[in-house]
Amino acid sequence: MRKTINIASFFALATSIVLGAYGCKDSGASGSTAGTTGTTGSNSTAGGETAGSGGTTGSGRKDPAKDGSDIGEPIKIGLVASQNGDLKPWGDDCVKGANMAVDEINAAGGINGKKVLLLTEDSNSDPVAGKNAASKLVTDGCVGILGEVASGITQQMANVAFDAGLPIVAVGATRTDISDIGSNFFRVCYTDDFQGPVMAKFAYDYLSLRNVAIMTDNKQPYSVGLSDSFRKAFEGYGGKIVDEQKYQSKETQFSSYISNMKSKSPDGVFLSGYFTEVGPIVSQMRAAGLNMPVLGGDGWDSAQLQTSGGQAIVGGFFCNHYNNEEKRPEVQKFLADWKAKYSGVPGTTMGALGYDAAKLLCDAIKRAMDKGGKKSKDISAALEDTSDFAGVSGKVTLKGMKGNPAKRALVVKVTANGTTFEKAYEPEELAK
Amino acid sequence: MLHDTLNLVAGLDFSILPQQLVNGLLLGSVYALIALGYTMVYGVLRLINFAHGEVFMLGSYAALFTSWSLGFSPEALAGQDKPSSWINLVLMLVVSMVVCGLIGMAIEFLAYRPMRNQPRIASLITAIGVSLFIQYAGGLFLPQSPPPAISEQVNPYRNEKVTVTLAPPPQDLVVQAKDARAKADQMDKAYEAAKAKGDPTSLESMRQETQAAKNAASNLETQVASKSTGLTVPYGQLGMLLTTLVLMALLWFIVQKTKTGRAMRAVAHDFDSAALMGVNVGRIITITFVIGSALAGAGAMMYATVLRTPLTPFLGVTPGVKAFVAAVLGGIGNIPGAVLGGILMGIVETLVVWLDGVVPGLSGYKDAVAFVVLIAVLLFRPGGLLGSSKVEKV
Repeated sequence: MRKTINIASFFALATSIVLGAYGCKDSGASGSTAGTTGTTGSNSTAGGETAGSGGTTGSGRKDPAKDGSDIGEPIKIGLVASQNGDLKPWGDDCVKGANMAVDEINAAGGINGKKVLLLTEDSNSDPVAGKNAASKLVTDGCVGILGEVASGITQQMANVAFDAGLPIVAVGATRTDISDIGSNFFRVCYTDDFQGPVMAKFAYDYLSLRNVAIMTDNKQPYSVGLSDSFRKAFEGYGGKIVDEQKYQSKETQFSSYISNMKSKSPDGVFLSGYFTEVGPIVSQMRAAGLNMPVLGGDGWDSAQLQTSGGQAIVGGFFCNHYNNEEKRPEVQKFLADWKAKYSGVPGTTMGALGYDAAKLLCDAIKRAMDKGGKKSKDISAALEDTSDFAGVSGKVTLKGMKGNPAKRALVVKVTANGTTFEKAYEPEELAK
Repeated sequence: MLHDTLNLVAGLDFSILPQQLVNGLLLGSVYALIALGYTMVYGVLRLINFAHGEVFMLGSYAALFTSWSLGFSPEALAGQDKPSSWINLVLMLVVSMVVCGLIGMAIEFLAYRPMRNQPRIASLITAIGVSLFIQYAGGLFLPQSPPPAISEQVNPYRNEKVTVTLAPPPQDLVVQAKDARAKADQMDKAYEAAKAKGDPTSLESMRQETQAAKNAASNLETQVASKSTGLTVPYGQLGMLLTTLVLMALLWFIVQKTKTGRAMRAVAHDFDSAALMGVNVGRIITITFVIGSALAGAGAMMYATVLRTPLTPFLGVTPGVKAFVAAVLGGIGNIPGAVLGGILMGIVETLVVWLDGVVPGLSGYKDAVAFVVLIAVLLFRPGGLLGSSKVEKV
């Protein structure tokens, strides 16, 4: 009997410790798979908690209590980017894009004769470091802040900016609820709420799919939310969701889910998770004899998608902000400038979005100054007033949008060593 | 009540049950392979080697680096097709096993040997320390962002599978599917050619027709796949199962038929008496660690190559916990028990996912159900399925 007790207590202790270790590393590891879609970091500090805010204005969001910094000379704007850590590839492109935009503006004489100075701080892909970086930029006297590429970090920065009364233009933070923080928050990317309808329309109209199965990563709020918005939109178009299988991050053997799904005979599969699981799922699907089209969200966006998905993932479709192969003149000009400045092409979508964010902020500063504005508050108002700003990644309209632009989204097709542009959807096309 | 139960049963799709059982067996065989390492070490040392999952993780990285040095790194491939052969797979397997064996030996020598005469709890805490140390040291030195995966091209059998048909699909459907696929491929080629030429007028309608043909083909193929009751096992997974069985047989041979094996059993039976009888206990313990870790290495290589999960330094945690539970379920210290426990865990997990068809949301609880089974077994058989208070260990 003693032996039994030993085994049982060993077991209890062991499991609790091992599971504890598992739990705490989970938050760290999610960053590596999060890419630009932003589950990185905590979501504990909601913006509404910040005290001392003034009343709400026409924007329908809370206004910061402070008016922010003065527009001086040179005009200082701040950028927080993940120049180290998990998000480095995205952060580096973002810095390059923003620098390119500011250099262009200065080469053309600055804003109303005043030079623009871009101060860059590293967030190390970490929400707390991102928060400190934003505070430093506030102390340095920036009139507005750009960044970040992931939602968790952006949220922390947005709180700092709200307290200081500075406008913040997020680059790649797609989580929908961040914009509730206050009337100083804006972004140049679409939100997660938009990706689902885009892919639903693409599946229904373009691929003529009618009976789609969904695979959801039950552990990632991003995936659960995306699956829901896809389901709603797809059923709205008249399609049918024949099955939903829910797996969990870090699983590796998906054959049981695939067998379940196979018996429902779907004609397409929507995989809303990250590429780390999507790759193995799709290759195991193909091995089980399922050859239907597969689609997903920007959680697929990684250079590792093809290594984890192999030949099977080639031909799959996902939603993205921007693609180097688009033929629009804005994109061609951007690519030519990029090549002249840095050589090559941007490796991630954040090059274009970083560029757009910096251009948008400078454009708003100019509009604010033209109206006689002198403070950060006036820049926020000008940003709120933005309509049809022509960005590389598409037109940005922020007027009456609570900081979330209605923006075009691209559907890209996975090739053996990258992606190719397949179709673009303007927001008007997704009226529902 | 009875009516509800009948309804539930009626909702189940029994045509996929055989496939699900095979899925469970395949999943369980990897658990079993890792569980063997836990159980062997526990058998001789009464120590739960929590670093075993980390040895598994390092084994998968060893396989990754081997595949890279064989010319299957993303940079070397750059989207190109590269032929592979089974020799590469064997090489990766051997390297993984050797590396893991050495790491197991090092862990034993550096961390556990100094603790051998201390209270058992000291070794246990050391084991947890080693586990965390390897995870976080791995985080500093191993490529993990973005998480790398072993290229599928290293596996020459990736597109082949064994199909056992229990109830064949309608033959005309098979023919239809084949024809539809041929037609779709043809249309796709024509479309791509037209697209390359840049003939915009008819391009969109052509694309729609091609897409329709592709959808028709994949629909027919899905019907063929779902109308036949049978088993599909990709070669890779079959290879995993066979390798596991061969390694288990080899282990059984070593333990039961060789002098070293006899010494291992003697140490497991009674540590001090074995030493008195002239068994070199230190050496036997080292060998046990080497064998157990090498088995984890084999499991890791197959896991990373066949299932192609992207690698992170925390990769070993989940399989480690599962395999540990499997070892306890089967009766820790008992070799056939570890195999039985592993396979049982695999099958239980898979069946929970299967039952998700009638109880939506159940699949989210599959790990919990595995633990419930464990608790149930331990309530009635505290030593595990094949264990007892007086088992013959290892």
